[in-house]
Amino acid sequence: MADGQTLLAVNHLTKQFGGLAAVDDVTLDIKRGQIFSIIGPNGAGKTTVFNLITGIYKPTKGEILLNGRSIAGKTPDVVLRNGIARTFQNIRLFNNMTVLENVLVGQHAKLYGDLISVIFRPPYYRNAEKRALDRAMELLAFFGPQMVALKDEYASNLSYAYRRRVEVARAMASGPQLLLLDEPTAGMNDSETAEAVGYIRRLREQYGVTVLLIEHKLQVTMNISDQIAVLDYGKKIAEGVPAEIQRNEQVIEAYLGRKAATA
Amino acid sequence: MSAPSRSKGGLPLFQPIRDGWNALVARLEKTQLLGRSLLWYITGWRLGIIALILAVIYPQMFDDSYVLAGCIIAIYVLLALGLNIVVGYAGLLDLGYVAFFVIGNYTYAALSRGYLVNSAKQVVPVPVLSFWWLLPLGALFAGIAGVLLGAPTLRLRGDYLAIVTLGFGELSRIFVLNVPYFGAANGLNAPPAPTVHTPLGDVDFGNFIDHTNFYYLTLALVVIVTLLVNLLRNSSLGRAWVAMREDETAAAAAGVNLVRTKLLAFATGAAIGGIGGILNVALVPSITPDQFTFNISISILVMIVLGGIGSIPGVIVGAIVLKLFDQILLNNLNDYVHGSPLVSNPGAPLHFLAGNDFNQEKFLLYGLVLLGMILLRPQGIIPDRRRQREIKEASSVESASAVGVLAIEESGDTLAGLGSAPDVTEYVGPGSDAQGREG
Repeated sequence: MADGQTLLAVNHLTKQFGGLAAVDDVTLDIKRGQIFSIIGPNGAGKTTVFNLITGIYKPTKGEILLNGRSIAGKTPDVVLRNGIARTFQNIRLFNNMTVLENVLVGQHAKLYGDLISVIFRPPYYRNAEKRALDRAMELLAFFGPQMVALKDEYASNLSYAYRRRVEVARAMASGPQLLLLDEPTAGMNDSETAEAVGYIRRLREQYGVTVLLIEHKLQVTMNISDQIAVLDYGKKIAEGVPAEIQRNEQVIEAYLGRKAATA
Repeated sequence: MSAPSRSKGGLPLFQPIRDGWNALVARLEKTQLLGRSLLWYITGWRLGIIALILAVIYPQMFDDSYVLAGCIIAIYVLLALGLNIVVGYAGLLDLGYVAFFVIGNYTYAALSRGYLVNSAKQVVPVPVLSFWWLLPLGALFAGIAGVLLGAPTLRLRGDYLAIVTLGFGELSRIFVLNVPYFGAANGLNAPPAPTVHTPLGDVDFGNFIDHTNFYYLTLALVVIVTLLVNLLRNSSLGRAWVAMREDETAAAAAGVNLVRTKLLAFATGAAIGGIGGILNVALVPSITPDQFTFNISISILVMIVLGGIGSIPGVIVGAIVLKLFDQILLNNLNDYVHGSPLVSNPGAPLHFLAGNDFNQEKFLLYGLVLLGMILLRPQGIIPDRRRQREIKEASSVESASAVGVLAIEESGDTLAGLGSAPDVTEYVGPGSDAQGREG
């Protein structure tokens, strides 16, 4: 899948919260077309890496390069315009908007939101809205006919798995090059998890999107990922293909070992 | 509609009142006329048409004191529509909306005089700007002021924003009070709106005996602004406002530029306030700073809460109801009470009310109205669908509708038939919702 070209380069990324280094000198190299997973125990700094990449936090040190251009410190909407979309660990949908409206908001960057366009509705405005609606319907159809049937339902009325899907649809709506998924299968049962794994793969096939994934379920990560990076206490302790990670002693100790001990 | 779900919670003391209200609403909903609920006929665009027809024939039916009151009501409808953008759509609690009203008022009063005072306190003649130029200019100035207020408060939310905007409102009043050019405490006089010469004859908008023409002017602006606000609401910008209100972080991550979107909300809301101000000063021939108190900001806020935050027909009705109250009903109440033998005869049991002016108790009565509203119908007279959901969700943790959908989902094949949210009845949604969202 991967064609070897770097899409996102994270170099020596560091984020300090007071005295605590939530992310400490992390370097990642995500190739175009990869499904790249970040794993690690709770509090390892995975979500902080996402928040740094998407501009919710500003890095203390380090570079974030998308296609060789720096996006570090840019605001979230600018990062999205540059081609990085994300979902959140604790689904953040617009609950009092319909499913369709949620996906339309995801395309806001491609629409005209100035007063002149909105009031006079010239053809370019209407065409953009029309295209947005078409794309929204296409994305809902991607998640199956049930999703399409739910388009006028309020987001908060949906079941958990559907809410996850709407969030992915909203992120995909902007047509990103890189999709950041923060625990897309958290709280799901086995069949829902399998479905999620399926649509993540299909997203890459159908839309050519590169996926950066945070995932707790090891069978998911091992099965889906081209490359895995392991974080512990904000530091990257290992990186490699799934087979290498499974054999890595440091990983087994930091992550699997600890998990086995508590289980 | 929401009646049964409201019967739990709240003060038990008010339960009989709530039950009575719910029974009334239920009865209204059951009233069938040609197979439709009576309420079906008086909502959405039908309500708009009926209201417009009534508004157009209104000056023909009443004498001029009522027409003048109608003008003031229409101006407040504009203000309520403007504040609704900021508070209702973008969710930014603005307690200083009076500032933009002040800017509109003083723009017209100051720039229609034909001179300026420069920094050396010399009087410099400038061309006299007419009402028609100052109307858009006042909107522009107020809009710029909206951006100036918005820019430093971008990071503030909720209560903090409310406090800063409250300060801004007071600041505007104190500013004009202390600047001689604006007449300081004496205020300014302003020419009435001008006469317009048309091939069909002259139309005098500034007649102080007959306000009919001015009334139609304000009504026309109300209609235009209502249509504009409806366009904004059902646009990409309107969606961004609602998304921002729901979850700022998620909206930013979805590509909404928070700075721009917030400033546009402040600017458009303020511009409408400016138009209201220009109309106000053209109607009342003089203004003084002490008219522009915090009370104006609060009453406009009360109007939109009363009518239904975020709902266009709601805030229009809210403004009309509240302004009818203080422009017409209180005066009639005074006349009625003072004329009653129970009051006017010395020694009568209610004689102590003889010297009472109910206008003095206006804010007490506002407060009672608002209290009753919060207890009986917190979503407002004509609620916005989304806001109604928010209030419902807050009042019942597990909303019945969510359970309903989950149940349907399990049965699988009935999913396709699931068109609209189960809790949205026909009568709740303003017509603009149904028409505009996809068009």
